[in-house]
Amino acid sequence: MKFIEDNPDGITRADIVVGIPSYNEASSISYPTQQADKGLKKYYSDKSAVIINCDNHSPDNTRQAFMTTETTTPKIYISTEEGITGKGNNVRNLLAKAVELSAKAIVLIDADLRSITPLWIRNLGEPLFEQYQFVSPLYVRHKYDGPITNSIAYPLTRALYGRRVRQPIGGDYGFSGELAKIFLETDAWSDSISSFGIDIWMTTTSVRNHVAVVQAFMGRPKVHKVKDILQDSDTLFSDVISTIFELMCRYENFWRDVKWSRPTAVFGFGVGDVEVPPPVNVDVRLLSQKFQSGTLEQWDKYKVLLSPENIHKLEEVTELSPEGFEFPTGLWAKILFDFAVAYKNRVLAPGELVSTLKPLFYGRILSFVLESQAMNTQQVEEYIEDQCLQFEKAKPYLLERWFS
Amino acid sequence: MAKILIVDDEEGIRMLYSMELQDEGYDVITLPDGRELLSVVDRENPDCIILDIKMKDFNGLDLLQQIRKKYYDLPVILNSAYSSFKVDLKAVAADYYVVKSSDLRELKEKLKVALETRIPAE
Repeated sequence: MKFIEDNPDGITRADIVVGIPSYNEASSISYPTQQADKGLKKYYSDKSAVIINCDNHSPDNTRQAFMTTETTTPKIYISTEEGITGKGNNVRNLLAKAVELSAKAIVLIDADLRSITPLWIRNLGEPLFEQYQFVSPLYVRHKYDGPITNSIAYPLTRALYGRRVRQPIGGDYGFSGELAKIFLETDAWSDSISSFGIDIWMTTTSVRNHVAVVQAFMGRPKVHKVKDILQDSDTLFSDVISTIFELMCRYENFWRDVKWSRPTAVFGFGVGDVEVPPPVNVDVRLLSQKFQSGTLEQWDKYKVLLSPENIHKLEEVTELSPEGFEFPTGLWAKILFDFAVAYKNRVLAPGELVSTLKPLFYGRILSFVLESQAMNTQQVEEYIEDQCLQFEKAKPYLLERWFS
Repeated sequence: MAKILIVDDEEGIRMLYSMELQDEGYDVITLPDGRELLSVVDRENPDCIILDIKMKDFNGLDLLQQIRKKYYDLPVILNSAYSSFKVDLKAVAADYYVVKSSDLRELKEKLKVALETRIPAE
């Protein structure tokens, strides 16, 4: 993919690249850029470095905001052509540029980060100069932050591919120059991967390719724009789920032989006290409404998509009172597996299929919120671990349906 | 026969686990601390390590980090009398965390799963 480039210092080589994908982030990009600069100076002063903003030709002038941010590290601005958007497209351009610069390590950070410190640059980058090739972030998040991660991306990725990567769509990563080449050489960049599916694609591709993966502890919680569960964009949900299902089709011969899961090493301790993440508010009443009205609307499709046993159990769930509402984990896992099988068999058009899942996702989140109201962060982590085990135990059901 | 390495500073625990796991058909070796852990792993090539956390001169969570650096995929089960270490993020690098009990069913179950775990080779 072609990209527009502004490289005022004429940089042609860099040992380490910090990439910041963006679209309309003029008001926020300076802060992560400054923190990246500090991190590079403090921890990588013996290495050549560059900060690259990979942008979607943002009309809000993100380019100027980035290029005028004072840094001692040189900066490069690259952009897709006007009219082409998507985080995945930005990352793809970054990969090409990083390979061109012969970078050994690439650190990717979100442009809207408000809690990044220079230490994040060290922790995401340093393992790449040891034996690791892919670094995934590990941060403490509020229990209601990251619902797609907690309910779908983490348990599914873990059960399918057998590697426990707690934040598979975390947004901030490190990867080696070698892995950047592997990413670039991977043939199919679908629409969802070119957009918000890029994160789960990178994580899955890394695990699939047996590269050494490590989780880097960030110390501070991830604080960035938004997040209300109901305001998570349809695009994010759709891209992540589509990508997961698409990769399931592509890598079926890999995950069919995976049994249970293995942990992932952790890097970056000694960062001092861990801060409490900011609260995330959830409108339980609205979640309930969206679940009830959505399931009613989609019921005929569910009868086609779900196995008779699961449709019967789902019917029971819809009849529960709001006070005693519960969407059992085992049922949720099997429903996701049913949807994946339907995606593979093209029972519905992919976009339609994924949007049909959304009311059930609201129901599952509602159940999680109600069950976890009195839980602290650690108890929620244990709840999520138990959920993952249930996904792993339910995998034979997927194997039977997928391969029969 | 799978070979299990037990690292625990309590002799009673090492004896109990050895007898119980040998009865299950495992080959068992033990260490009283982490002093020679990496060299024993090098030499004995165990299929799984059952690792105590709070030992006299050693912290099992730090030993786990050392193990992971060198043996990326070796199954490790953390085994402690305390559940409180679960909150330590270093514990994430273990396959499982089992709180000590005289009833070894959970430990045996997790050991079985850890040994069964498969990620296909390239």
